[in-house]
Amino acid sequence: MKRYSLKQFFQDFYLALILIFLYIPILTMIVLSFNNTKSRTLWGGFTLKWYEQMLQDQAILNALNNTLLIAFVSALIATVIGTASAIGINSMKKLPRTVLMGINNIPILNSEIVTGISLMLCFIAFGISLGFKTVLIAHITFNIPYVILSVMPKLRQTSRYTYEAALDLGASPLQAFFKVVFPDILPGILSGFLMAFTMSLDDFIITHFTRGAGIDTLSTLIYSEVRRGIKPSMYALSAVIFVTVLVLLLITNFTPENNRTGSPQGNDAALVRKRNRSARIRKGVLGIASAAVIFIVGFSTYSRYSVSHSNELYVYNWGEYIDESVIEQFEEETGIHVVYDLFETNEEMYPVIEAGAVQYDAVCPSDYMIQKMAENGLLAEINFDNVPNIKNIDPQFLEMSREFDPENKYSVPYTWGTVGILYNTKLIKERNLPVPERWSDLWNPAYEKEILMQDSVRDAFMVALKSMGYSMNTENPDELELAKQKLIEQKPLVQAYVIDQVRDKMIGGEAAVGVIYSGEMLYIQEEVKNQNLDFSLEYVIPEEGTNLWIDSWVIPANARNKENAEKWIDFLCRPDIALKNFEYITYATPNRAAKELLEPELRNNQAIFPDTEKLEGCEVYRYLGDETDAVYNSLWKEVKSN
Amino acid sequence: MRQNMKRLLAGPYVLWMIGFTIIPLLLVVYYGLTDKNGTFTFANVLSISTPEHMKALLLSLVLSLISTVICLLLAYPLALILRKRGIGQGSFVVFIFILPMWMNFLLRTLAWQTLLEKNGVINGILNILHLPNLAIINTPWAIILGMVYNFLPFMILPIYNVMIKIDDNTINAARDLGAGTLQTLFYIWIPLSVPGIISGITMVFVPALTTFVISSLLGGSKILLIGNVIEQEFTRGSNWNLGSGLSLVLMIFILISMALIAKYDKEGEGTAF
Amino acid sequence: MSQPLIDLQHISKKFDDTLVLDDLCLSVRENSFVTLLGPSGCGKTTTLRIIGGFESPDTGNVIFAGNDITKLPPNKRQLNTVFQKYALFPHMSIAENIAFGLKIKKKPKSYIDDKIRYALKLVNLDGFEHRSVDSLSGGQQQRIAIARAIVNEPKVLLLDEPLGALDLKLRQDMQYELIRLKNELGITFIYVTHDQEEALTMSDTIVVMNQGYIQQMGSPEQIYNEPENAFVADFIGESNIVDGLMIHDELVEICGAKFACVDKGFGTNQPVDVVIRPEDIDLVRPENGTLQGVVTHLIFKGVHYEMEVTTPDGFEWLVHSTDMAPVGEKVGIHVDPFDIQIMNKPASEDEEAVGVNE
Repeated sequence: MKRYSLKQFFQDFYLALILIFLYIPILTMIVLSFNNTKSRTLWGGFTLKWYEQMLQDQAILNALNNTLLIAFVSALIATVIGTASAIGINSMKKLPRTVLMGINNIPILNSEIVTGISLMLCFIAFGISLGFKTVLIAHITFNIPYVILSVMPKLRQTSRYTYEAALDLGASPLQAFFKVVFPDILPGILSGFLMAFTMSLDDFIITHFTRGAGIDTLSTLIYSEVRRGIKPSMYALSAVIFVTVLVLLLITNFTPENNRTGSPQGNDAALVRKRNRSARIRKGVLGIASAAVIFIVGFSTYSRYSVSHSNELYVYNWGEYIDESVIEQFEEETGIHVVYDLFETNEEMYPVIEAGAVQYDAVCPSDYMIQKMAENGLLAEINFDNVPNIKNIDPQFLEMSREFDPENKYSVPYTWGTVGILYNTKLIKERNLPVPERWSDLWNPAYEKEILMQDSVRDAFMVALKSMGYSMNTENPDELELAKQKLIEQKPLVQAYVIDQVRDKMIGGEAAVGVIYSGEMLYIQEEVKNQNLDFSLEYVIPEEGTNLWIDSWVIPANARNKENAEKWIDFLCRPDIALKNFEYITYATPNRAAKELLEPELRNNQAIFPDTEKLEGCEVYRYLGDETDAVYNSLWKEVKSN
Repeated sequence: MRQNMKRLLAGPYVLWMIGFTIIPLLLVVYYGLTDKNGTFTFANVLSISTPEHMKALLLSLVLSLISTVICLLLAYPLALILRKRGIGQGSFVVFIFILPMWMNFLLRTLAWQTLLEKNGVINGILNILHLPNLAIINTPWAIILGMVYNFLPFMILPIYNVMIKIDDNTINAARDLGAGTLQTLFYIWIPLSVPGIISGITMVFVPALTTFVISSLLGGSKILLIGNVIEQEFTRGSNWNLGSGLSLVLMIFILISMALIAKYDKEGEGTAF
Repeated sequence: MSQPLIDLQHISKKFDDTLVLDDLCLSVRENSFVTLLGPSGCGKTTTLRIIGGFESPDTGNVIFAGNDITKLPPNKRQLNTVFQKYALFPHMSIAENIAFGLKIKKKPKSYIDDKIRYALKLVNLDGFEHRSVDSLSGGQQQRIAIARAIVNEPKVLLLDEPLGALDLKLRQDMQYELIRLKNELGITFIYVTHDQEEALTMSDTIVVMNQGYIQQMGSPEQIYNEPENAFVADFIGESNIVDGLMIHDELVEICGAKFACVDKGFGTNQPVDVVIRPEDIDLVRPENGTLQGVVTHLIFKGVHYEMEVTTPDGFEWLVHSTDMAPVGEKVGIHVDPFDIQIMNKPASEDEEAVGVNE
């Protein structure tokens, strides 16, 4: 009967466009989560393996558990405190009420980054070590305002006369509150709780700044995973989260009768009955859902804290820098509980140790950073009586370590390697690009948008300085200025500045050349083979020389479990363990005994174990002092902001 | 007496606010106005004027302004269509438009990385169709796209929530008095939805201005926004004083938006929730 | 009779699956005060909104001064509406509200200013130009809403329960105000209300509606004194509606007693509905009454007493009288023949609703 007008068509078209925009990304991820290949454009058949992988991933499960636990507990506490104070604030005079509501709005209106930073500064200033409880406090802090904002309007609506009527009918103030006022504001309290819960689930930024050792929520886990490269199990996780959220929200939010508001004739009894019924159903489902959450969270918390860990070890390591079974084996053999946490760059790790926000027992920084930490008194001397397995370490690496740890008293080498250029043979050929041999080739305009540079100060400057023939440890301002200009000059050619992602991006054929750590080579070559890629990736050590780096284990001065840390380091120096780690992380091991256990083919792989004597012009990073560091940092910022 | 007892219920929260809202902010102010040795200085705040910080701030401002405007232009007609069709607040249609808001923020951004990368989904499809590739990943455009995508529901919701409260008869009255579609839009709809627009703008602008996640995931770390600068001062550069100083500058922008909210949104009707 | 100003022809309207208006026909003469009266949901507001252009009928036409305006949008119609709850623009001052329609029509500023002053004077709110909408009381807002409509010099003013939100005293004052305005402006008013007193006080013509049909249309006196069916009788004022038996013309049997009446043409021995207004019942001595009963309730109402008289068959008669009879007293009931209104019995519920429109 009604005509479908052109106007309506345009409106529908517009709504459809926005819907496509909103849902295409999500649908894409869901589709990819079932794709058998890692490729994003080729459909390799249906699979559930990424879901299996996700369910077997302890890190994801732990993060999920943390996320739910924090969301639930923080929402609960926030609801109690928030409701009480809403009642209190509501009964105040105008001025204090306005002031309190103003402060209440701060965490909502303030940008999350400032809130996160301010809380982090506060925790550190008061010596509260960052961890589970700081994240919890932070979440409660930003949750309370939402609870208050949703309880307050209900309180305003509640007539004070009903409360007075209850008193008049003989109820005590407490009874009057719980029997009359409370049921009235209950919807507000519930929606406040739900909002707090979802806010907490979704938070990343504030958690990012206030979290500590071994505590990851889904958001922080996803962030570090994504920066390392996109794994299909992340798509699976997205799909699961999306479907869960959809179902939960459908149950709690969607009331079918509400979309009848268009008709003026509200049709009486049947509708009311229907509404009552659906309200009952929703209440029921809500009840079951919250009971389930309480049960899961309670159980997992119980199982986690039922074993008390008096004997602990806090380890701070690079991402994907250990075979996880090594940790389990260590825990089994020694009975020490390991809390394991990750960092992405030396620069990110340093302030954490410096502030003592988390008291780690064993950390694995690089050469120059070890020197910086030692010079600033952040390191404890290792008691080598407790590390007899040091004998397995090739003495030439201990010798090399003297560059940054002159007396060999703070550090035990863990891995070593070089930095070089990785190139994609096919892309090079297709585009008629020269095969890179020197750092200066990375300034060849032919490589426009095909270069992946390292996103860390020293590595980026190393490339620039070496290409000009300077030392990568230079403190000469002129040389640094030239290096900066050189990097700015290179920027248009650079596709992206990345860290761990360079590996996956190169495997994905995203770029022709990338600056990469030699240790990634074994993994890359295997992946190229496994994925049947139609190109190969080759590694060159540039002619100008490069960074010869060593990552070593150290013990921070504020470590609480120093002996455990020494046991840990000793354990890692055992040939069988070092071998296991090498096979997993594929970075060259300084462990002579472990190397001898390798097959000759691998032992002689020049990309991984280059002959150190042949590495002319190679240097080890030295710590250049805070001031020079600051110069590097600010020059780097100039490059990045250009 | 009883009122006094009730007021005491706010006590725990007042303590909590002092401990975890006010003192932390004062600490930011303290760090922002001192140097490493604890002596008073304006250097950190003033360092916003150095070229690299200024560039980052300006770029953040430009990108977040563009995103906010795009969000507004997309969201306003959408909210208006939903409102005019009498689609109720709890209805499925409205729900569908704000559902992505509840999806994890990082996963949403990750999705765009998947779509936009050089060998990503969009380019894959374009290749199959033999169309030229889209190369916006790692450019400011990708960041704008990420911002618009992530924050669009925060614009739709407050505008829609204000519109739903406008009485049908107010609109009918305008039509009745001779106003055409456009006149009704400019004289009635827009002035009456100002609280929602303002609230939407702040809800998009503030997080867009301070984001460091979107720029680092979609900008390939080539583009430095003020959020990235601050984040890196805290997590990498280890100059907390500088980071706090720059945060203080950011807070100025937030104060401005708070003032705007207080001015236009007295009844608190323009909230998203 | 001259050509009607507004002519609704066979209008039907459905919302979802509910029929709100069914084949409604209605003519409104120029310069009349027509009231659409009925309970909520009877279709009176929908009728008004169809005239105003806010709803379009599913079938039928709206003719305005001889032109079909069925498809014309509201902003192109020469009529203005005063909305329920006024619908003033909250973001504009009083003057801006009143000027709205004129500014849209791009009238010169001096003209607009004159009009604002004139309109405010007309509604007795001189000097309110710069006040804000929320600073006004309900009655004042109401008058502004009227002023806002009439400055556009519409041919017809549509009023949708404009007094519904006001308290009793204010409502009565506004009724006189509206009549005065109507007379001063000399335009047609179409007025929607569910309040029968308002309808009776102000209108030239009352249209009683129920369930999408017009039940009766006529002058207030006709509607009150000669309701055409039980619904109208019951809805307008208070009344006793009794089952009766039409013995023959001008004689009806009620509760076993025979009453003389003036109605003819109902046949012989036909069951009918009989309507008797409570103020038309005279209480007399038992022996002088046509019927006898006992007073079972008595309430003093100020201008009169309200009594309930129960007759032996159990029917409770509502009686208004300035004379009082105490509870328990036996009384006689007398009704003058011309105060008895005879109506056909509806065959079914449905037919009751269909009423006169069939």
